[in-house]
Amino acid sequence: MIRLENVTRLFDNVAAVDGFSLEVDQGEVCVLIGPSGCGKTTTLRLINRLVEPTSGTILVNGRDVSRTKAEVLRRSIGYAIQSVGLFPHMTVGANIGVVPGLLGWGKERISARVNELLELVGLEPRQYAPKYVSQLSGGEAQRVGVARALAADPPILLMDEPFGAVDPLTRQRLQVQFLRIQRKLKKTIILVTHDLDEAIRLADRIAVMQSGRLVQHDSPERILASPANKFVHDFVGVDRALKRLSRISVEEFIRPTPSVTTSATREELSAAIGGHRSVWVVDGDGRPIGWIDRASLRDPGQLNDITVRADPAEMYVTGSDTLHGALSRMLGLGFKSLPAVDDNGRLIGEITLGDIEKATARGENMDHV
Amino acid sequence: MIRRLLSPDTVAITGVITGLVSLPFGWLTLKPNRLAGGTGLSLTDGLGGGATVIIVVLWITCLALSLFGRRRWQVTALGIALNLVVIATIFFTGPAAARLIGDAPTVARVSPGVGIWLTCLGAYIAIFSCRQRLKGFPLWQNLVSWLGLLSIFILLGTGWLDNLSVIVEFKNQQAQFVRQLVNHVVLFAGSVFAGTLIGVPLGIWAARRRRAEGPIFFVTNIVQTVPSLALFGLLIAPLSALSLAFPVLREWGISGIGAAPAIIALVLYSLLPVARNTYVGLSQLDPAIIDAGRGMGMSRGQLFRKIELPLSAPLVLEGVRTASVQAVGNTAVAALIGAGGLGWFIFQGISQAANDVVILGAVPIMALSLIVDSAMRGAVKVATPKGLGAR
Repeated sequence: MIRLENVTRLFDNVAAVDGFSLEVDQGEVCVLIGPSGCGKTTTLRLINRLVEPTSGTILVNGRDVSRTKAEVLRRSIGYAIQSVGLFPHMTVGANIGVVPGLLGWGKERISARVNELLELVGLEPRQYAPKYVSQLSGGEAQRVGVARALAADPPILLMDEPFGAVDPLTRQRLQVQFLRIQRKLKKTIILVTHDLDEAIRLADRIAVMQSGRLVQHDSPERILASPANKFVHDFVGVDRALKRLSRISVEEFIRPTPSVTTSATREELSAAIGGHRSVWVVDGDGRPIGWIDRASLRDPGQLNDITVRADPAEMYVTGSDTLHGALSRMLGLGFKSLPAVDDNGRLIGEITLGDIEKATARGENMDHV
Repeated sequence: MIRRLLSPDTVAITGVITGLVSLPFGWLTLKPNRLAGGTGLSLTDGLGGGATVIIVVLWITCLALSLFGRRRWQVTALGIALNLVVIATIFFTGPAAARLIGDAPTVARVSPGVGIWLTCLGAYIAIFSCRQRLKGFPLWQNLVSWLGLLSIFILLGTGWLDNLSVIVEFKNQQAQFVRQLVNHVVLFAGSVFAGTLIGVPLGIWAARRRRAEGPIFFVTNIVQTVPSLALFGLLIAPLSALSLAFPVLREWGISGIGAAPAIIALVLYSLLPVARNTYVGLSQLDPAIIDAGRGMGMSRGQLFRKIELPLSAPLVLEGVRTASVQAVGNTAVAALIGAGGLGWFIFQGISQAANDVVILGAVPIMALSLIVDSAMRGAVKVATPKGLGAR
């Protein structure tokens, strides 16, 4: 879909991008990452010809971009930047409608498209379309920026730190939304960031850059497991084993677990706990509310009295959580296992510290592959 | 410290004290004819006992309000009292002038004396401070600003003040006044228009090319520092030479004196404010906005039309406003080199030592610049894009 062949760009005889080659497949999210000044933004801007290469070729869909008129090329490539760059004298609706307008769409079609996109990024169209940029929060502005980049339904999206200028919590929400939208739209995306966690969360493949050169281009798992050289090794940091966990969903690690309701009899309890060290206690709807230790079995009190209660929202994990999230919750609560619940909050199994350890070890072994 | 000294109350008190100081001066001047020196008449002798009591009481009320008034209604009351001072002063001047003229030979003239001018000056200094303090209450603010001026216009229109020397002078030279007023407006408006047509492209050029920026503002800045009289003078020699060398220019009315050098100088003066504001308007734009526009596939022209022009228009017009107000004043000087305009009355009056003729030129020039200023402010407001209004 996008191919850079041996591209070099000099600024005042200093190479910002130096003999750079990269291939991005259709529907793939490629994250360009590296320290400040490594040339990642320049690389991005080479693709829509905001910067022209000193030498080398850039192909989009097999066609040399230098053979397409720059303006025409750019209208077919979505572009979102960190500072968003929304036009302050236009409403949100007008901002999103800019590229369709440049392409000569009719009024009706543009406004229908604006509504569709605002809904896609989770902003109520009737409320937000007539607003001005100065009336938006940082997170809303970034979402409008993404909607604007998607306006003419371009097959390719270039994003330069699109979630950079917001607080960490909002950023995380925007990232989750990004993944949801990408699963639906399957765009070819090149995204620039300096935030490794963001890269790991969003990328299908990561391209690590250093001084204008490509150092490693691989899946996040492989980058974390086997850094190509010392630079990448240092860049991903000593906690790369932990970081890798954020790529792994808890889903495949959920194992069945016994549970009892608060109205269970002593016999049922003994049967349920079997050889385990403890058993989860659920309410009438099957939602976990606490657990009973094996040691408490000797306690003569009511089942209700020997239950150790815990805040369900604090302790449960769902299928969409990552091992990283599960592990940090375990460490935070001091638990060796956590209950896993389905979308309705009902207990479906548990995830244990031992399983997470095994997952880590499995990754470590990849170092020696 | 200076801020505290210049607080609105201090300004108001200064104005009121100016008004009180005006009381012992001569309020009306009676002259045997339009050029001769006159005798000053005190407030009581000129306007009469009743008027004196009213004006003195009003001024003392104003003093009390300006010293102790902190609340909004008190500030409003002060503003209204100040307007009443102006109205009373002008109102009583009319019949007083009629009475004095009636007792004197027919060529005698009556003009406002130092006292009246000081009272009006003091009143408007204080009114200005009230206006500031009433910010956010447009109804009261407008009442305080315009009540007195409006009343004066009504008095002028009804012929109440026809016996004052300035009005007599105006009636005698009405045709000339209209001609010079039109002259003035054409000179300043035409020059600012031409200056805008040249200044805007200069500003754009400076913003686009780093190398052009230095020379453009070097030249326009130097022009701005030359006093207007000197610039008019400087243009006389080369233009005379040109019109001598090319007689065809003389047929077009271009010569060393007259409208041609005036227009050239006025255009040169309006270049700096317009070019500088255009330059600032364009270069203050957020580079991310330009980058986004380019990245979305706007051509150079589209970027300019859809993004740069609307976003910088308020600042450009702000520059045109500065240039216009400045040009209204400078055009007055242009009368010296024979270009005409309201300045003609000023220089005529000075050469004849006829103060009333000077006033006939000066007051309309002040009024004109105020009108131009507020009209241009309105234009800036209209040109400001809606989304920017929230800032």
